[in-house]
Amino acid sequence: MEWLNPYHLQVASFMLINAILGVSIYVTLSTGQLSLGNAGFMGIGAYTAALLSTQHQVPIPVGILAGSLLAGAAGILVGIPALRLSGVYLAIATLGFGEVLRAVLINWESLTGGAVGVAAIPQMGRVILAWAGDRGFSPESLGLQSNQFISLAVFLILLLCTILTVAFFLRLSRSRVGRAYAAIRLDESAASAAGIPVTYYKVLAFSQGALLSGFAGALFAHATSFVSPGDFTYHRAVEILVFAVFGGSEHIFGPVFGAAFLTVVPEALRSISDYRYILYGLLLVLMMVFRPQGVIDPALLRRVRRSGKGTPA
Amino acid sequence: MFLEQMINGITLGSIYAIVALGYTLVFGVLDIINMAHGEIFMFGAFVGMLIVSKTGAPLPVAFLGAIAVTAAMGLLLERFALRPLRGRPGASHLASLISTIGVSILLENVAHKIFGAGNHIFETTFADIGFRVGPVTIYLVQVVILLISLLLMAGLALWLGRTRSGKALRATAENLETAGLLGVDTNRMITATVVIASAMGGIAGVLVGMAFNYINNQIGLSMGLKGLAIIIFGGMGSVYGAMAGGLILGLSETFVVAYGSSGYRDAIAFIAIIVILLIKPQGLFGQAPAEARR
Repeated sequence: MEWLNPYHLQVASFMLINAILGVSIYVTLSTGQLSLGNAGFMGIGAYTAALLSTQHQVPIPVGILAGSLLAGAAGILVGIPALRLSGVYLAIATLGFGEVLRAVLINWESLTGGAVGVAAIPQMGRVILAWAGDRGFSPESLGLQSNQFISLAVFLILLLCTILTVAFFLRLSRSRVGRAYAAIRLDESAASAAGIPVTYYKVLAFSQGALLSGFAGALFAHATSFVSPGDFTYHRAVEILVFAVFGGSEHIFGPVFGAAFLTVVPEALRSISDYRYILYGLLLVLMMVFRPQGVIDPALLRRVRRSGKGTPA
Repeated sequence: MFLEQMINGITLGSIYAIVALGYTLVFGVLDIINMAHGEIFMFGAFVGMLIVSKTGAPLPVAFLGAIAVTAAMGLLLERFALRPLRGRPGASHLASLISTIGVSILLENVAHKIFGAGNHIFETTFADIGFRVGPVTIYLVQVVILLISLLLMAGLALWLGRTRSGKALRATAENLETAGLLGVDTNRMITATVVIASAMGGIAGVLVGMAFNYINNQIGLSMGLKGLAIIIFGGMGSVYGAMAGGLILGLSETFVVAYGSSGYRDAIAFIAIIVILLIKPQGLFGQAPAEARR
């Protein structure tokens, strides 16, 4: 069980949180809206969950739910005025929302703890270990040390959340809502002429994206037990966008793959850590030059599916 | 006090305007937001700093060095990160956004590797020279910054408005294909635009070093974000919008810090754009319903 060390599990956990974030931007992108505010929504979710559990002793699942819902509500508030904007205008206005939110987090010290952030947030794995310990369970009975057990528990919870999220949105994309999204993305006026309530679906997609970001943020808070405004900067917003664009924004597996791959690459390059972000930047440029639609596109998925069935590709 | 703040604000604002002009030129011609502009600007600041502090050369040499390096970076950026994407089917407007983000990550970390994370002192020999006009103290540095910025803006406006190549550039901005059909070498114009915009970033870098007396590898990001906010505020692709937006932001930041709270200084730019986008989405000087621009 040597490979099952907390470090590997932590990287895997971040992969999963990032995958949810990747899906969050994919959902808004699937109606053709580019939002760079997801880092801000993630911050809302993370801070809500963190403050509820540290200051009001709210149970973790309730806090995560509250954080997600609050972020989703903020998404509606931002999404309605954002309807007037498109393309780069929307991108930069939402980026602005994130920056303003970060300034609020830093300056509203009485609530948020300022630039220092919130520490000692109950960690999911530890809470589960304590709960199980009270019932006479010990991780040694599974051949695990307690820190292995904690990391494993976090990983499994996140895995479940990610699978549920992806399954939900995969199902959604084949539903009436998903078809409406696709129609809006292809041509807004045509969709509107065909009787699709464009405004409703665009705001819906925007707030779904915000809710998912908040969800990921709340999970992040309870997985790392520490949040600060520095976790929700411009860099995070760009990182989330890159997951979707690198992995491919035309299918839900694209951002999931992008998130997983781009989380592992910098870790795998740790041995040449001085150069890893230089390589990361280079990778993005090369990717856009040689495969601008992202790694995973519907054509690739079709080919994979066909070869999986044994017919010649 | 009020007048001094006014002067500080105008000095800061004119630097913002120069940074924003770099974005607006590239956006006007290519409809691309060059996310690497902030980092190119930062390299200009570092080159200027190295020349001034390591060789003790006078300031004009620092400007020339910064211009040379950032112009070369603009050339490379256009050649390797923008041109391959141009006119490719399947390459959405997101592709160029991401590739310039890639370049900005690359440059930020190259700068971190070379210069480290700390602050570097940017010393100018005349930093402390000031003179009193009535009740106000004006520093020579501020005068120099203001003069250079005004010259640069006037030069750019003249070039765009009055010269043959400026006209070709505006034609390219108006419509790439038509300009090409009418005999404008559009590839050359695009390269020229990116190079000029980058060189202006380099100049702005040296000016920032002069104004603040220190630089670090984060200034590219903070200046870059403000530059972005300014071009949205002033109207995408509008040269005068960038100038006015820069001055307005410089003044409002200075006054908010002087008479209000400094904590929200960096958020002002974004509060301003959120407000303007809700009232007048095309920006202060943007063309009315610019469907084609979107």
